[in-house]
Amino acid sequence: MNLNGVEIRDSFAEAFPMAGTRLVITAGTPRWARTAAASLTGFATSVIGCGCEAGIEGEIAPEDSPDGRPGISVLIFAMSLKNLKKIVPARVGQCVLTAPTSACYAGLEEGPRVPLGRALRYFGDGHQIAKSIEGRRFWRIPVMEGEFVCDDVTGSSTASVGGGNFLILARSRAAALNAAEQAVDAMARVKGAILPFPGGVVRSGSKIGGKYPGMIASTNDAYCPTLRASVESALPGDVQSVLEIVIDGLSAADVGASMRAGISAVCTLGAAAGIVAIDAGNYGGNLGPFHFKLRELMA
Amino acid sequence: MSGYELRLRASLAARLDLSGVTPHALAGLSGSEVEHLPLPYGTARVPLGEVFTLMPASDGALLISGDPRMDFVGAGLASGEMMVSGPIGVCAGAQMSGGWLTIEGDAGEGVGSGMSGGRIEVRGQTGARLGGPLPGARTGMTGGTIEIFGDVGPLAGANMRGGLVLIHGDVAEHAARDMIAGTIAIAGTLGPQAGAGMKRGTLLLAREPLLLGPGFGDTGEHDLVALQLLARRIPQLAELLGGGISGRARRHVGDRLAGGQGELLWLY
Repeated sequence: MNLNGVEIRDSFAEAFPMAGTRLVITAGTPRWARTAAASLTGFATSVIGCGCEAGIEGEIAPEDSPDGRPGISVLIFAMSLKNLKKIVPARVGQCVLTAPTSACYAGLEEGPRVPLGRALRYFGDGHQIAKSIEGRRFWRIPVMEGEFVCDDVTGSSTASVGGGNFLILARSRAAALNAAEQAVDAMARVKGAILPFPGGVVRSGSKIGGKYPGMIASTNDAYCPTLRASVESALPGDVQSVLEIVIDGLSAADVGASMRAGISAVCTLGAAAGIVAIDAGNYGGNLGPFHFKLRELMA
Repeated sequence: MSGYELRLRASLAARLDLSGVTPHALAGLSGSEVEHLPLPYGTARVPLGEVFTLMPASDGALLISGDPRMDFVGAGLASGEMMVSGPIGVCAGAQMSGGWLTIEGDAGEGVGSGMSGGRIEVRGQTGARLGGPLPGARTGMTGGTIEIFGDVGPLAGANMRGGLVLIHGDVAEHAARDMIAGTIAIAGTLGPQAGAGMKRGTLLLAREPLLLGPGFGDTGEHDLVALQLLARRIPQLAELLGGGISGRARRHVGDRLAGGQGELLWLY
């Protein structure tokens, strides 16, 4: 398959089931909503090293937010519901409760309950106030700046999918980066999915294991341009740089939609912009039950 | 499910107990069966058909012409819609768990006593113990919403443990006595001795409270996100308190004499 001079390789992204949730962070100004959300989703690129994967899903206008203030929607994913129930209150407690003017609300109402205020209320040391509104329970926790308002729980999705991905093979580092940025911008418009790595882009894709004992993952040498002569390379001779985009979503459909949006954006740039091919990372299909076949996705 | 309209044949000469006469209870009954339902009337029990003329109404609805001696209208309502035209007696909507009860007139004491869900709307005034406990009980309403468009008698929200009460008019003395949880919003004036024995819960006031007891302390003026949240989720609350809720409020806490942490928020 070839789109605008870009080869779509006969490969697939291999993805895994995860437990995920959506939170809505609001604050007195967009600056502080974004600050709290950025802190909440910080150091959350890969479950391997961070325990969870998280990212900003989008901005919420004041008229659409729970309390009429500017908001940010974030998604958080963990390898199990049990881990999600530990990670979410810990991150909200350290990163949102502490951020000036912020409040934190459930972004999903369905699915197994993940504690928010239910766990954080104890910080109020007996001065916290519960308020049930139209069947939904909120907590008001007194803090030095005023009050932190938080939903009691949020819903979650155990049908979440992590590890969707595609690789951009380009003639230069600049061409790869430009294409990745275009893809990230297009993918930001897809709801229900996030790109957990810095700026949405990964430069250090990995393979499983390595030569050193104890290494869970190590550099994906088959896609490293500088190792072309040293290892069995997967790169054509004219490829000088590869960037990866990793996608987590609340459902397989969300991940697929995000991948399609990103690959389409890259292919719109085409060979004229230095793009050679689109590939994907997988482990031979033996580890993850979700296979996003590139050619089927872009058919 | 068919609906019914119960039209009074004449003004009541004694107290009539309508407990359990709800859309759900009448569903599936024929007109004849409904007319033969026994109702406590004074010291006797009479067939419903002796007191009311039965008329068909829209599916699931129950329309009743009211009388000040008609008690426990909508008591035990769990689903469906009941509408009363005219005044009614005591304990309307007592122990409701769902559904919608509208009263186009004044209501007596004990509206919504012990209710746990659903919605009661009274277009006129109400008597004492709005949302409080049933006589002999200790716990007031635990859930649901009551909206009163007129004035309200003493002990509104006494022993309340949850739910929302919206009052457009004035409130008499001893409101929120021994309140444990829930929210009461008042557009009119708050009577004396409000919140005595209050443990938790919130009173939202459109007017400055002038007659607070000694157990309440002024914590000053605050910007409360929770108020903006309340206004967004309950539009009729924002409307009751004058439309735009800025989140700015003066907060009084009490009843400290009872070790309570209830709050009176004056929105200005």
